Amino acid sequence: MPMYRPLPGAGFAYPLDELRDELDRLWTSLTAAPPLHGWGVRPGSDVFPAVNVSESDDCITIEAELPGLDANDVDIAVSGEELVLKGARPDPHQPTESATAKPATAETGTPDRQGTSGQGNGERHKAVTWHRRERGTGSFERRITLPVAVDASRVEATLVDGVLTVTCPKAAERQPHKVKVRAG
Amino acid sequence: MVNPTQTAPQAANQPRPEQPAQQPKAAAAPGLTYQPNVDVCDCGAEVMLVTDMPGASAESMDVCFEDGVLSVHAKVPQRSLPGRQLVQEYGIGDYRRSFRLGEGFDASQIAAEYRKGVLTIHVPRLAAVRPRKIEVRPA
Repeated sequence: MPMYRPLPGAGFAYPLDELRDELDRLWTSLTAAPPLHGWGVRPGSDVFPAVNVSESDDCITIEAELPGLDANDVDIAVSGEELVLKGARPDPHQPTESATAKPATAETGTPDRQGTSGQGNGERHKAVTWHRRERGTGSFERRITLPVAVDASRVEATLVDGVLTVTCPKAAERQPHKVKVRAG
Repeated sequence: MVNPTQTAPQAANQPRPEQPAQQPKAAAAPGLTYQPNVDVCDCGAEVMLVTDMPGASAESMDVCFEDGVLSVHAKVPQRSLPGRQLVQEYGIGDYRRSFRLGEGFDASQIAAEYRKGVLTIHVPRLAAVRPRKIEVRPA
């Protein structure tokens, strides 16, 4: 069977080597595992939560998807031109105090609704098998630089069906001042 | 597409996504359908699926179990922020995903609830196929 080898001292890339390197690069990119904590975020990015930001004449609006979180689970701090989103989502795989106190909710991680009653909490968590874990857990913090200073005292936020909307009215001196043109 | 010939012998115990190559939720493009992230948990007596679907509503959910395939579809109304868009890191659109669970599940007892942007589906196994622990008595 003939073997093709690059000539010693050849000054050009050998086509088969180029092809092999290209296939290696392709295979590496295909087999790279996606980040576990990237729920709702662009694959390959470790930024969470992803946000959409818009600007109108009088306010800046920030929207983020935070499924599974209560309003009490999210901390929002605004100072000047920076907004900080902080929060956490508990790991349903780990027994937590809230799971111990409130064992009926799926969110806090008591998946065996009917199967293994009568066992302790730790045993119940060991009894389940996770086939797929795509939803991220743990704490997060994201700092967002706003395009203009906002009035922190008038910032409002709502969390409905896992969608957080933060409305930040612009500081008074930053709002557009309309000049009335008088007829001459 | 559902392909019965691809059903593995262990499919009843190990749910797997039916359409793994759907559009991930990434770039902003209205009208797209996104694949939601999901946790699949086998609890013995049932299989539980927890799916992130922010922005949907219980009324817009369509959960269907047919031929061993559990499919979920949620319509999400388009929403837009006021004014000029400065940053758009994610898109808004419907959610769709399906899983081949296999046989041995009680379709009439499937329960689903939507809360805080998370859809939780409980798929109980038929009593005849539930794992049963046999107690060994000393002789």
